[in-house]
Amino acid sequence: MSDYVNTLTEEKKKDNTLKIVTYIVSILLTILVMVPFIEMLKDVFGSETIVQPGPNGTFSIIRVPKEGLITWKEFCDLFNTNTFIGFRNSVIVTVLNTILNIYFSALTAYAITAYDWKLRNGFEKLIIIAMMIPNTVATVGTIQMIYQLGLTNKLFIFIIPAIATPMTVFFMRMYLKATFSRDIVESARIDGAGEFRIFNQIIFPIMKPAIATQTIFCFVASWTNDWVPRIVILDDQKKILPIASAAPGAELLLSIPPIILYLFLSKQIVEGISLGSVKM
Amino acid sequence: MSNKNQINKRYSKWGYIFSIPFFVIFLIFSFWPIASTVFYAFCYLKHAGNTHPQLLFLVGKPWYQNFKDIFISKSFWDAFKNTFFFFLASTIPEWILAFWLAVMMTDRRLKIKGRAIFKLSFFFPKLVAGTALGGSLLIHVISVVGESIGNILTISAIDGFGITPEDLEPIMSIQFFVIVVTLFLHYGITFIYAVVGITGIPVEIFEAAEIDGATRRQTFFNITLPCMKPMLFFITVISVVDGIGMADIPSYFGPFDTLRRNLTLMTYMENQAFQGSYAYDRASAASLVLLAIYIIVSGIIYLTFLRDKDEAELKKLKRLERKALKDSLKAG
Repeated sequence: MSDYVNTLTEEKKKDNTLKIVTYIVSILLTILVMVPFIEMLKDVFGSETIVQPGPNGTFSIIRVPKEGLITWKEFCDLFNTNTFIGFRNSVIVTVLNTILNIYFSALTAYAITAYDWKLRNGFEKLIIIAMMIPNTVATVGTIQMIYQLGLTNKLFIFIIPAIATPMTVFFMRMYLKATFSRDIVESARIDGAGEFRIFNQIIFPIMKPAIATQTIFCFVASWTNDWVPRIVILDDQKKILPIASAAPGAELLLSIPPIILYLFLSKQIVEGISLGSVKM
Repeated sequence: MSNKNQINKRYSKWGYIFSIPFFVIFLIFSFWPIASTVFYAFCYLKHAGNTHPQLLFLVGKPWYQNFKDIFISKSFWDAFKNTFFFFLASTIPEWILAFWLAVMMTDRRLKIKGRAIFKLSFFFPKLVAGTALGGSLLIHVISVVGESIGNILTISAIDGFGITPEDLEPIMSIQFFVIVVTLFLHYGITFIYAVVGITGIPVEIFEAAEIDGATRRQTFFNITLPCMKPMLFFITVISVVDGIGMADIPSYFGPFDTLRRNLTLMTYMENQAFQGSYAYDRASAASLVLLAIYIIVSGIIYLTFLRDKDEAELKKLKRLERKALKDSLKAG
C-alpha cells in the first residue's frame, strides 16, 4: 500500500516539474512575441525614433518619448490615399480568395467522400500529388501566362485560382472522413432535399471546425502574398496593400486584420477540437 | 444491398459535378503553368517581358543548354546545399519543440491554464509574418538571440568554462539566424496541426494506456503518433513544401551576401527570372530541378506514410482465404 502511495506522490512530483517547465517555456515564447508588438505600437503612437549622425561617420539612435497621446491630425497623416486604395483592394482579393478556397475545397472534399464514382480514387491521388508540388515551382509559367493573355493589372488572377487548392481539400477530406455519416445524407434525401442543398445546409455547417482552421491559414497566405503581384501589378489603382507605396499607417493596417480574424475564430478551433474527439 | 448500390450509382454523377470546378481551375491555373514551365526549360526565353519562346535547337544551341548553364554554375550547387541544410536543420528542432508543446498543452493530467493565450502567441509570428509587424518581430528575435550569443562570448572571455570563441563560430553565422527565424515562424503551424491531430484521437485510448501504466514517452510513440498518421502526413507535407520552397526568410537577410550563404533554390530561381537577369529559360530549368526534388522527396514521404502496410497484408490474406474457399468449394 505504502509503495503504491509512494509511486503516486513521485509521479505527482514529476508532473509538477513537467508543468513548471511547460509554463516557463510557454511564457518565454509569449514574451518573445509580445514585446516587439508593444514596441511597434509605441513606435506608431508613442515615441519617435531619431537617427542622429555623429562625428567620424558614427551615428546614434535616440528615442524621444511623445508627450500625451497622438493627436487626430497626426493619426490622419499616417495614411495617404494609396494606403486606402491598397487596403480596399487587399480586402476584396483576400476575402473573395478565402471564401472561394474554403467553399470549393469543402465541395470537392464532399464529392470525394460522399459519392461513389469511377474516377474517385484517381482524383484523390491527383489531389495528394498536387498538394506535394506547390504552385511556386511554376512561377515562371504563371507569369508568362499572365503576360501572354494580357492579364497584367487584373486582380481576379489572384482570386479565381483559389478554387483549386489541394492542401485545403486534403485537410477537409481528412476531417470529413472522421465525421461524415451517410445516414444524415440519406435521411435528408428522403425528406426531398437536393444534393446542393444537402451540402450547403447540412454538410457545410458540420465542417465548421475544419473551416475555421483553414480560414486562418488561407487568409494569412493570401493577405501577405506579394511576390507575383509585385511583378504583374503596376497600376497604382490596382495595387494591393503589401506593395502599395508605404506610409507608416500601411504597416498598421496590414498587421491588424489577421489578428482580428484569429481572435474571432480561435474559439471555433478550440471547440472544433473537442467536437472532433467526441465523434469517431 | 444491390438496391442500395443502385441508389448510390444514381447519385454518383454528383461526384463529378461537384469536383468539376476544382478540376477546371486546376487545369488552367496549376497544370498549365507547370506544363509551360517544363516547355520553357527547353526554349530560348530571355529579356524582361519576352513572351516568345523559341525552342533551343531552332536557335542553334543544344537542347540541354539551360540545364548545362545551371549545373556548371557554382551558385546553383551552393543553393542546393543550403536548401537541404536549412530544411533539415530547422525542421528537426521545430518538430521536437512543436510536438512537445502540443503534447503538454493537451495533456489531461497537467491541465495547463491559459492555453488560449499560449496558442495565440505560438501562432502569432506566422499570423503577422510578411507584415511590418512581422519584420519588427524578427528583428527583435534576432537581437535577443544575438545578445545571448554576445553574453556567452563575454562570459567565455572572462572565465573560460571551456568555451572558446572558436566554438561559437558556427552560431555566429547567417545560416544560424536563418534557421532560428525559420523555426520561430514555423513552429506555430506544426503546433496547431499537431494539437488538432492529438485531440482527434479518442480519449478512451489514452485512459486505457494510463491505466496500464504507460509512461508519457511510451504513450506518445506507441499511441499518439500512430493514431494521428493522416495528420502527421499533412504536417510533413507542409514542412517539406515550406522547407524546400524557402525563399523569403533567407532573402530577408539581404541579397548582398557574396558568399551565397543564404541562397536557396527558390531564391536562385527567382533571381534568374525576375531580378536583374530576366533569364526565364534558365529559371524554368531551375524550377524543373526543384520540381524533381519535390517529386523525389514527396515520393519517399508517400511511400512511408500513406501506403498502409497492414492493410496491404490484410488484403493479401483475404485474397488467399477467398482462393482457399473457392478451391474447397470446387473440391467438395
